[in-house]
Amino acid sequence: MFGSRLLLVLSSVCSLALALDIRGSILWNDVCPSFSNLSSVRVVLNDGKLSSGVTREGGFLIPDVPSGSYLLSALSHDYTFDSLRIDVPSDSESPSVHPHILGTPFSPASSIALAYPVVLTPRGKNAYYVAREGFNVMAMLSNPMMLIMGFTAIMMFAMPYIMKNLDPQMLEEMNNSQKKMMGVQSAMQSGDIKSGLAALVGAEDEPKSAGARNQPASSQVKNRGGKNKKR
Amino acid sequence: MRVPLLRACLAALSLLSTTYALYESEAGIVDWHKSLIGVPLTGSLGTAPSFHRATKDDGWTTSLIISATSSNVLGALNAEDGAVAWRHVFAANDPIAVFKKQQSTVAALSGPGGSTLRTFDALTGDLLLEKRMHAPEHGTLYEPESLGTSVAFVPGSNNLLVLTSGHTLASVDGKTGETLWKWSSEDQGSLIIYSRIIYTPIAIYLLGIAKSTASFTLHATTLSPADGTLIASQNIPSGLPPTSPATSFLLLTNPNSTRTPHAVWLDTKNGLSTFNLTPNLKGSVGAWKGTKYTDVIDVGLAEENGLFVAIAEDGQSKAIRLGDAGDKGFEVVYSFPDSVTSPARSPSIYSGGFDKDGNPYIARVFWWHTFKVNLSLIFHEQGGYIQTLAINTATCIGKVFAFDTNTHGVMTHVTHDAGPMGDQFATRFMVSTSTGGLQMYHTTGGTKTRLDWTREEGLANVQVAEYVEIPERLVIESGGADAERFGDRLIRQIIEAKDFPRYAMNFAKRFATGSYASVSESAPASPTDGPLSRDAFGFRQVIVAATSYGKVYGIDSSNGEILWSRVLGLGWAAEVGGKIIPFKLYTTRTVADVGEDGEAGTPQVVLVTQRRADNTLVDTVLFHIDAMTGEDSRKQSPTADLLQGFDIISGPIVEAFFLQNSTRTVVLFDEYMQVYLYPESTESEADFEAAASSLHFQVRTGGPDARQLMGHSVMLNPELSKRFVGYPTSALALPAHEEIQSVIPSRRGPVASIGKVLGNRTTLYKYLNPHLVAVTTASPASHPPSCAIYVADVAKGTVVYHAVLPASGGACHVQATLAENWLVYHYFDEDLQGQSKGYRAVSVEFYEGALVDDKIKSSDMSSFSNETTRVTAYDRAYVSQHGISALTTTSTKFGVTAKDIIFATTDGKIQSLPRRIFDPRRPSRKPTAEEVEEQLVQYEPVLPSPAQRILSHKHEVANVRKIVTAPALLESTSLVFAYGLDLFHTRIAPSGTFDVLSENFNKAQLVLTIIGLAGAIVVTKPMVQRKRLRERW
Repeated sequence: MFGSRLLLVLSSVCSLALALDIRGSILWNDVCPSFSNLSSVRVVLNDGKLSSGVTREGGFLIPDVPSGSYLLSALSHDYTFDSLRIDVPSDSESPSVHPHILGTPFSPASSIALAYPVVLTPRGKNAYYVAREGFNVMAMLSNPMMLIMGFTAIMMFAMPYIMKNLDPQMLEEMNNSQKKMMGVQSAMQSGDIKSGLAALVGAEDEPKSAGARNQPASSQVKNRGGKNKKR
Repeated sequence: MRVPLLRACLAALSLLSTTYALYESEAGIVDWHKSLIGVPLTGSLGTAPSFHRATKDDGWTTSLIISATSSNVLGALNAEDGAVAWRHVFAANDPIAVFKKQQSTVAALSGPGGSTLRTFDALTGDLLLEKRMHAPEHGTLYEPESLGTSVAFVPGSNNLLVLTSGHTLASVDGKTGETLWKWSSEDQGSLIIYSRIIYTPIAIYLLGIAKSTASFTLHATTLSPADGTLIASQNIPSGLPPTSPATSFLLLTNPNSTRTPHAVWLDTKNGLSTFNLTPNLKGSVGAWKGTKYTDVIDVGLAEENGLFVAIAEDGQSKAIRLGDAGDKGFEVVYSFPDSVTSPARSPSIYSGGFDKDGNPYIARVFWWHTFKVNLSLIFHEQGGYIQTLAINTATCIGKVFAFDTNTHGVMTHVTHDAGPMGDQFATRFMVSTSTGGLQMYHTTGGTKTRLDWTREEGLANVQVAEYVEIPERLVIESGGADAERFGDRLIRQIIEAKDFPRYAMNFAKRFATGSYASVSESAPASPTDGPLSRDAFGFRQVIVAATSYGKVYGIDSSNGEILWSRVLGLGWAAEVGGKIIPFKLYTTRTVADVGEDGEAGTPQVVLVTQRRADNTLVDTVLFHIDAMTGEDSRKQSPTADLLQGFDIISGPIVEAFFLQNSTRTVVLFDEYMQVYLYPESTESEADFEAAASSLHFQVRTGGPDARQLMGHSVMLNPELSKRFVGYPTSALALPAHEEIQSVIPSRRGPVASIGKVLGNRTTLYKYLNPHLVAVTTASPASHPPSCAIYVADVAKGTVVYHAVLPASGGACHVQATLAENWLVYHYFDEDLQGQSKGYRAVSVEFYEGALVDDKIKSSDMSSFSNETTRVTAYDRAYVSQHGISALTTTSTKFGVTAKDIIFATTDGKIQSLPRRIFDPRRPSRKPTAEEVEEQLVQYEPVLPSPAQRILSHKHEVANVRKIVTAPALLESTSLVFAYGLDLFHTRIAPSGTFDVLSENFNKAQLVLTIIGLAGAIVVTKPMVQRKRLRERW
């Protein structure tokens, strides 16, 4: 490392412009465990004039980078990597690394400073395909439409029996409320929204106020009726 | 308020919900991908293809053919089946200079003077080491590129000896990349250019050429292997031929003998001469007495096996070995029979190879016009002939092989390896051809050889490609004769009726299961029972592609098979040699047209090319080809021969256009702006004359630094010329330092609607000026360097849109596409103050007038109207996540389907993005109800890059140069063909396949529901009847 830097210093004397090598490596993780998964990958600065391949060990070295700020990105076919901002200073010895999110201003650099040498982490593997929806009887039956259909069909058969077994008092009550609703509906349909609404509000209010008070009573009645029947 | 918000959210979600997505089962069925490595560089031994036997982990060996190619790829092919084992694509500014291989490692030097050293795993192609040897701008480039660069492996260690720029030798640790020592010659390459290295444990020998007063002299230098200190350096008294000094000397060692390394060269005075190399360079020059040799050929066996081929004056070739036997250690192992120069034989190609045990072999391959097949009969046959010489036993086996020169051109290079077969040996050899083909043969018993595989690497250099629609299958009535008697007809119908049960079965099956023609099914692979025909949806078309290697291909777009291929004939230039460079390709007859004989003809294309003969003459040549079969439509060349063209202009072409009125005519302009028409018929002339007054062409004129885009019209002045002559009418005057990089014509397709209705029921009318072109320019000389894009009306030179873009690192890589009234361009934004950095994509839409509902009828307005500049541009810039190498839009039959942008990224993907994302009218705030109605979503600066939109999915499509799109028969679907290094084809439905039943359509569910309902009816019917009956009672 020191030797190469010495060499660089020597060469910089000739070219009169300080240039640094940018070193880094790829961190193997669960997303991309080894080089064989990655296939070819190239680490580029800006639009690729300065670049480096990644070796099997995961390391890369972009040689002779003149001072300035750069956008570092890894070009991989199957994996996505974060992009970074690299600042190569004209005096200091090592470049500084900051995260950069596309779409945010490039300057000023993010206040988060990352370690140098650069570490690139595979963030995700591209999923190119979508799964085809196969035919599934359960999925078809659990469809809300199918559920409603099934429920109606069942009710169609079950209704007469329920009606038969119902208490005559309940039946009357139900008929009454049904009639009320019909009235509201017809009022709505005929355009008399106001009266319809009023009827609805009234209808809603009525059972509420009545229900609050009468419910225990009615249940008693029901219970009693039931008991009576049994006797 | 709540509902629009919800709708906006839904719209935003639906924006990225993939209208197009690929199912894994469809991959490889709706698309195909051809992975190529490019045409091998056969000019020098350091880059030419050669066999390599690599050992796998399990101990088995596998044979690869490793080559550097003109597409700047280092690639390895499996010798067994010709598949690409691995490849490494080098950057364009980093050309491969030389590569060397050892058991498990391949080392390559690339860049000017060999500035970068890379080593690869020979089996997998994994990059092991990448090391900068020197800055590219400090490299010295020699001609040829292989001169001055070399790599040698140090036996018994990981170290490499790397010779760069012809004057610097470095010892590099192959594991860590560390430079162990470095030696540079004092003159820094100004006098001596080294090109060969030999490592021996006592000294490293460097051999090069030194410029002396009269001619070139050999120069040898010896270095200490331990630390690279100079031992000796001196000229070897010699005179090398001035025309080819670099290839007329060899460095020989033979580890199996006691001889020291020798230099061998062709001396201009003494003929073949030798010099024995010792560390102190105190050897002596020895001249070869007796036979006079005219050429020495390195077959790749010199530096390790001490073998080379020398050609005598009469053409007789001999294999010579440096060893313990013979005169001063040189021994003629074998003289090749039939090698004396003869008009019946082409010049021979020599190749060096090995068998499994490392024994050397030399193969000689040539083209033989006549040879005896039978003892009693002499057939005038032609074919390839291979002689393989086993050096150890000095046995030579000759075999004939069926090389087809009419489809592959001439052989340019051969590489081989050998394997024992009984007491004899068999040879495997790969022939590289002038058309970019690679053919692998292997010899079998007797005089036979068999072709194993063929690769068309020329397809890595496609210059022009077009889709051509193919006709439907003709339904042929059997019988058909009028005078058919009743009995005959009965018999025929009975015979035909035998197919009825199968038909009935098929019908029932189709009815029950619904297996109709499906969009996700591949079109049938070439039907054997008839000519090529269209599939139900028009997905099957012929892609006609012409390469810069003088070959034109017809490729089946449904599966990528090569239907036909023709080698373009050189015409009169065949004697001097030359090259045919494709310029443009036009479909002159489509399936809808009627042929000369009144019947629907087969589609035809005209390929416009420029022929550069080796004597510097340039001609414009047309090839008129039947797109279905590759036959010459001019009927001048026979089917199995070269395709001969028609020399229409004896000079270079300036521009070519295609006129589509009542005839389809190719219009060509020569240097003097004279008009040439093809076909040269009276109808096309009359058609052109009728249209002449309203024609406008744009032509790039002016030399370097003064390029302009000039609008031209044509006129006829019978006093001056019998041809129409173009004259300039307008110019797109660019600033003096601006250089035109590309002219992108507007993609004209059917325009489904001329306006865009907004949410408030007003209309923006599209600006559809037919003379629009996009022009990208570069001004490298300005400070700072900049790029620019113009959209201009070429008929009168007015600029409709202009943007100055930053040049990234002084270079302009602006990609743009213009379709209808929509321009998209892409560039790298590099602000000098460092404020921004990254790729940008800008979407611009042009609408008529200044306001909504402002209509100027731009599509059929005269160019000379002042109204043409009344245009409003809406634009939006986006942050793009990728570098782009090609950009285009989809095209569909009627233009109703929304257009997707399709682009090729620099990391090898073909991707599509919907137009809605690029809509320049996306609001920067929450969209209002009206904007939601227009399906506008809030502007977001970063273009999304969902992986489901990568059309090329798992395939890496490298270095795409161009993407061509074409409509299918289905309005919803567009065909996409990308070419560059690789070929990739797929189809895309930007708005979903709305005109065919979706693949997701659940027929089972439909059938089940119907069955369920029917069941319900069956159950409830008696119940209802009973109820009714009860009611009646």
